[in-house]
Amino acid sequence: MDVEDSKETAASTADTSSSGVTIQLISKEGDKFPVPITVSNMSELVKSMMDDKDDDDDDDDDEDDDGKEKITEIPLPNVKSEVLKKVIEFCEHHLAEPMTEIEKPLKSQNMADVVQKWYADFVDLEQVLLFELILAANYMDIKPLLDLTCATVASMIKGKTPDEIRATFNITNDFSPEEEAQVREENKWCEEA
Amino acid sequence: MAGNAGNNQRIIPLDEGWDDEIKAKAIDRLEGLLNGDLTGSIFGPKEYVQIYTTCYDMCTQRSPYNWSRELYQRHGETIERYLTTNVLPALRDKTSQGGTILLSELKHRWQNHQIMNKWLKKFFTYLDRYYVKHHSLPTLSEAGLRCFRTNVYDEIKGDTTSAIHGLINEEREGKIIDKSLVKSVVELYESMGMGTLDAYNTDLEEPLLTSTREYYAKKREDWINDSTPDYLIKAEDALDAERKRVEDYLHTSSEAKILKVVEEEILERVEMVLLEKEGSGCRALLQNDKSEDLQRMYRLFGRLENGLNPMANILQNFITSMGEDIINRRKARLDSGEKDKNDDPKFVKSIMALHEKYLGVVKDDFGGNSLFQKGLKDAFVEIVNKNVGQFTNAELMSTFCDRILKSGGEKLSEKEVDANLEKIVQLFSYLTDKDMFAEIYRNQLAKRLLSQRSTSNDAEKSMIAKLKMQCGTQFTSKMEGMLNDLAVGAGQRSEFGNQLRTVDTKLDFSVQVLTTGFWPTYKSPAIALTPQMSKCMDIFKDWHDQKHQKRKLGWVFSQGNASVRGIFGKKSYDLQVATLQAVALDAMNGGATMTFTELATKLNVEENILKPLMHSLSCGKYKVIKKTPASNKINTTDSFTANEKFSSNMRKIRIPMASLDGQLNTKRVEEDRTIAIEAAIVRIMKARKTLQHQQLLSEVLAQLNFFSPNPRLVKKRIEALIEREYLERSADNTQVYNYLA
Repeated sequence: MDVEDSKETAASTADTSSSGVTIQLISKEGDKFPVPITVSNMSELVKSMMDDKDDDDDDDDDEDDDGKEKITEIPLPNVKSEVLKKVIEFCEHHLAEPMTEIEKPLKSQNMADVVQKWYADFVDLEQVLLFELILAANYMDIKPLLDLTCATVASMIKGKTPDEIRATFNITNDFSPEEEAQVREENKWCEEA
Repeated sequence: MAGNAGNNQRIIPLDEGWDDEIKAKAIDRLEGLLNGDLTGSIFGPKEYVQIYTTCYDMCTQRSPYNWSRELYQRHGETIERYLTTNVLPALRDKTSQGGTILLSELKHRWQNHQIMNKWLKKFFTYLDRYYVKHHSLPTLSEAGLRCFRTNVYDEIKGDTTSAIHGLINEEREGKIIDKSLVKSVVELYESMGMGTLDAYNTDLEEPLLTSTREYYAKKREDWINDSTPDYLIKAEDALDAERKRVEDYLHTSSEAKILKVVEEEILERVEMVLLEKEGSGCRALLQNDKSEDLQRMYRLFGRLENGLNPMANILQNFITSMGEDIINRRKARLDSGEKDKNDDPKFVKSIMALHEKYLGVVKDDFGGNSLFQKGLKDAFVEIVNKNVGQFTNAELMSTFCDRILKSGGEKLSEKEVDANLEKIVQLFSYLTDKDMFAEIYRNQLAKRLLSQRSTSNDAEKSMIAKLKMQCGTQFTSKMEGMLNDLAVGAGQRSEFGNQLRTVDTKLDFSVQVLTTGFWPTYKSPAIALTPQMSKCMDIFKDWHDQKHQKRKLGWVFSQGNASVRGIFGKKSYDLQVATLQAVALDAMNGGATMTFTELATKLNVEENILKPLMHSLSCGKYKVIKKTPASNKINTTDSFTANEKFSSNMRKIRIPMASLDGQLNTKRVEEDRTIAIEAAIVRIMKARKTLQHQQLLSEVLAQLNFFSPNPRLVKKRIEALIEREYLERSADNTQVYNYLA
């Protein structure tokens, strides 16, 4: 359990939370991340859970039995601590400075031209972590994060030849020359445009 | 979209994921809960996330292990199976057990379905995000709703609709029903339209409209034997109840439709029967001043298209007949020998009271509605223009004003005077011959002003202002000119008074200057004035000529008056007389006896003037002159002398004299009309250049506000204008006129 991290998170967000309700997000490893509900609600998945907590308050005896507000725990078994930390970082910042809508098609290979500097720096990551972030954004249903991470991958592809792309993502070409010719033929329109 | 890159999770096979996780942990538990087997919490975040994660993983595994399609399909099957094996049989069971039981079951099952649908949507929500979008499928909740519609709603709606109708009819009969139950079921109907109201409209509303129509058709037959007010109270209550019902548990869009059906059945179909009901219809209510019932009648029939027209007609006919009663009473009075004077305050007051009353009825009971205002107006146009006896209503009304405005008439406070004038002007506005009224009014005004019998200058002004409001400046310009002459005259008199004091005239003398045209034309008979009088006149003439060199001064002795000191025996009297009488008295001064002819020569006055003059002095109430032979008629052979024996209890005596100008001169009005018609024709033709006869005629009639001329009279004027070459007949069509510039 990464005590330091969770403390940091809690401390840095304590004053930004207005509602005062705190949610405990639990990573795959079982680490607990307390966050204000405003931050966790960036995730549609978490938000939908909180919504029906309101709806079904009467039925949720096991949660509210002793009257006092218990901190709701939400396990996220598909997200590792390392990734969840990044996700929370993104959500917190997004509340303070919302990300501008990403223009499509991408106007540049350089993410700094596409979004605010903080976000460009945020996605300056190792590929493995970047892909895990995509998966987490998709799993937790956080649209701006999914947009940002996917756009980052797209920016890595933009303007590159197939061989360069293979090199970038470390992909071996498993097409036979005939197959490759056929794919090129089918996608001719793409190159013409 | 996302693969398993960097994620080394185990692939979940379809049946394992479904049977062990989704079915076991989510669906079975949910169904158990809905069937009432389980109590307590539904799904906490932990359970929810677990099921979501399983679904997520199964939908994000790479093909051929991507189970999105299978999960979507099983989602639908799950709902369908539950509905057909659990819900439908339960409902079928209840169809024979009465409306409330069936509806309660449906309500319960519908609520359950909503819970089930909500949770399944949450568990499978990842499908909504990509699979449903990419394949353009119905969303999970929509699919669930459709499932309910096909498997339950379509099967059961016939029974539930009649159950709802049954409850509504029970409520109409005064029973208490479970409104919230009906409301929940109605909401189900609304949901079944999938975002539209189609299902509600076809399955519930349409049949409801039909049964409502049948219900109220029956009610109508029951109620129609009641009196109209009783019927209308029931009708209003029914409409209120129906409106309330929609508010309580139906969709708001039904309100207008249901109310329309009810209005058609209980109001429109029997409107005339109700309005004309013997003893309690609209006329009877008016007759008995049933204000509250009339208001209700107005409210209810106002809901129908053109529903107020018959009521407004009845009002008009009613007022007209009330007015005719008043006219007939006047006629009866005249027929039974009452003197036909130009003064009939009883009649005018009755008409005024009638008008005031129904003005109030229209305003208070009929909301000031324009149809009723028109009815009132049309009725009064008919009444006010119906003349009985030798004097027109215009003259009676003007004389009534005279009574109010002159001293010694009605004794009224300032406020009452103004209120009466206001009412008269309202009646005046209905007169067709407004110019006739104006002419009479002007004559009476002149008389009031010149004989100083007008009580209040403010009241005179206020009346003229009211007429001006009705008819414009042109209509009152002469009257205003008259008042102005008097105002100017007051200043002039005091100025001239100072001038006069410098000369010894032995007379108090003052002059009122009248502007020609503003005032009526008076006869101004020649007469030899006394020397003192002539002297004063000369002084005034000099003074006036000096001040206004371009003005010509004429004298109207007939309108003058004088105060004469008469000494009879030992007593002396102040005689208030007309100037002409004063001259005659002066001639008789000293006890001389004169024959009629001698007097005529001496005064240089015509016989037809001298006759009424001497009549007033020798045959009236105060006989200051003795006539031989004594009789009540003046003959040219009579002789006159001062009446030495005259005596009276009063020191100040007013001796009135018959007016020389006789009765109203309608000729003058006719002349004015001729001018007005010609002016209108020329004005129109100048603008139009060429016009057909019919068109010209209608435009002329539209332009003339103060009277409505006979078309033949207009035609005559057109011909006169052709003769005088203002117009010509078109060469190719005699029905068309051209304007000649």
